[in-house]
Amino acid sequence: MRASSPDLRSVVAGIAVLALGAVLLLDQTGVIELSFGILAPVACAATGAILLVNGLSRRE
Amino acid sequence: MTVEDSGHDEREREDSGHHEREQEPRPDHERQPQPRRFLRSRENRVIGGVCGGLGRYFTVDPIIFRIGAIALVLAGGAGLLLYLAALLLVPSDEGETAGQPALEGRNRGLVIAGVVVLLLVAWPFLVGGGLVVAGILVPLAILVATGVLVWWLVSGEGPAGEGKDVARRAALGIGVLILCGLIALGGAWAAAAGGGTVVAVLVIGAGIAIVAGAFLRPVRWLILPAVTLAISAGAVSAAGIDLDGGVGERDYRPASVSDLRDSYRLGMGQLTVDLRQVDLPAGDTPLTLDLGVGEARLIVPEDVCVATDAQIGIGEVRLFDRDNDGVDVDFLDQPDAAPETSRLLVDADVGVGALHVAHDFDELDYHGARFDNDPDDTLDVNNSACSKARARE
Repeated sequence: MRASSPDLRSVVAGIAVLALGAVLLLDQTGVIELSFGILAPVACAATGAILLVNGLSRRE
Repeated sequence: MTVEDSGHDEREREDSGHHEREQEPRPDHERQPQPRRFLRSRENRVIGGVCGGLGRYFTVDPIIFRIGAIALVLAGGAGLLLYLAALLLVPSDEGETAGQPALEGRNRGLVIAGVVVLLLVAWPFLVGGGLVVAGILVPLAILVATGVLVWWLVSGEGPAGEGKDVARRAALGIGVLILCGLIALGGAWAAAAGGGTVVAVLVIGAGIAIVAGAFLRPVRWLILPAVTLAISAGAVSAAGIDLDGGVGERDYRPASVSDLRDSYRLGMGQLTVDLRQVDLPAGDTPLTLDLGVGEARLIVPEDVCVATDAQIGIGEVRLFDRDNDGVDVDFLDQPDAAPETSRLLVDADVGVGALHVAHDFDELDYHGARFDNDPDDTLDVNNSACSKARARE
């Protein structure tokens, strides 16, 4: 019996959300000092990845 | 029988014969050509297929209409209103066949009346006026368009179909926007009140749940709230907003050096520190200002040199005759002073807002007039107590 493949959209979105959460936690623990110069590209990359995989999945 | 009745009977007889003839197939040259209908194009569309449908109707390249629509959007917002009107009123060609009438099931008169009303509303924008109307309708149109876009992104249902479907999707999209706004407010408030770690753990937990759901049962509805929460809390952290110092107006006027604190702090509001009654000693005196959201005002005597190291998340720094604004503003101004001169070492941190340093309150208001080339430019708004030229990084 072949196992069903995971939902790609959820995998990518979950990793993106995890990355955002990790950045927030690193800021709170003082490892990094969060600024808009860091947050803006991270947020754009995360939302961009989610939208991209979402769009590509719908085309299939 | 009147002449009119006689004519009516003749027409009925002709119609009757016409129906009988319709039982037989007619040759092609006798068929009536179908009237061209303006339908939104499902195949050739960027947003809702309005320009694609116009291009098909007028048999020209749709890019011409797209350029025109963008130009009208930029020129007062009329293009946005007209596009939304077409989106709501013009049916899509989805499911249409060549033989169906264009407005089947619709009241053509109502549609025409709606278009006329919308054109009347859009007219002030077309002629360059209508600022009052623009203040209401353009934000409303942007809200509806944003709602459609949000629902498109969330559900994959684009602006296709009938007007009522588009309206329903716009409403659902606006609902999602409101929900996200509430989540963003909650996340921002929690992060600003010192709960940033809790928010970070919540976001990480949501991320784990989404990944795990990919293998078990997808929980895609969790993606948008989690991203919203993370970005709002991140923005608060990036701006350095901290509401621990309280909310409101704080006005400090120390009368002597002994009354002067090392630091003044406020979460949200207006923080004023007036040092004009303080006789600062020669040499350096440190002072820390910490403001989450609002305006920090520092009034210093004219014989005091001010050295400033300020970080502003979003906002501006105005130090006498100099200013700087933007995002992630690092303002460093460390002039030297003679040994017998008092120098105030200001370390300021403002999340969102402004830091204003001046010799008196009039100077704060006067600053705006100075850039207007006020002929009565008599106030000394320089950091004149400092002996050397200031270095700025």
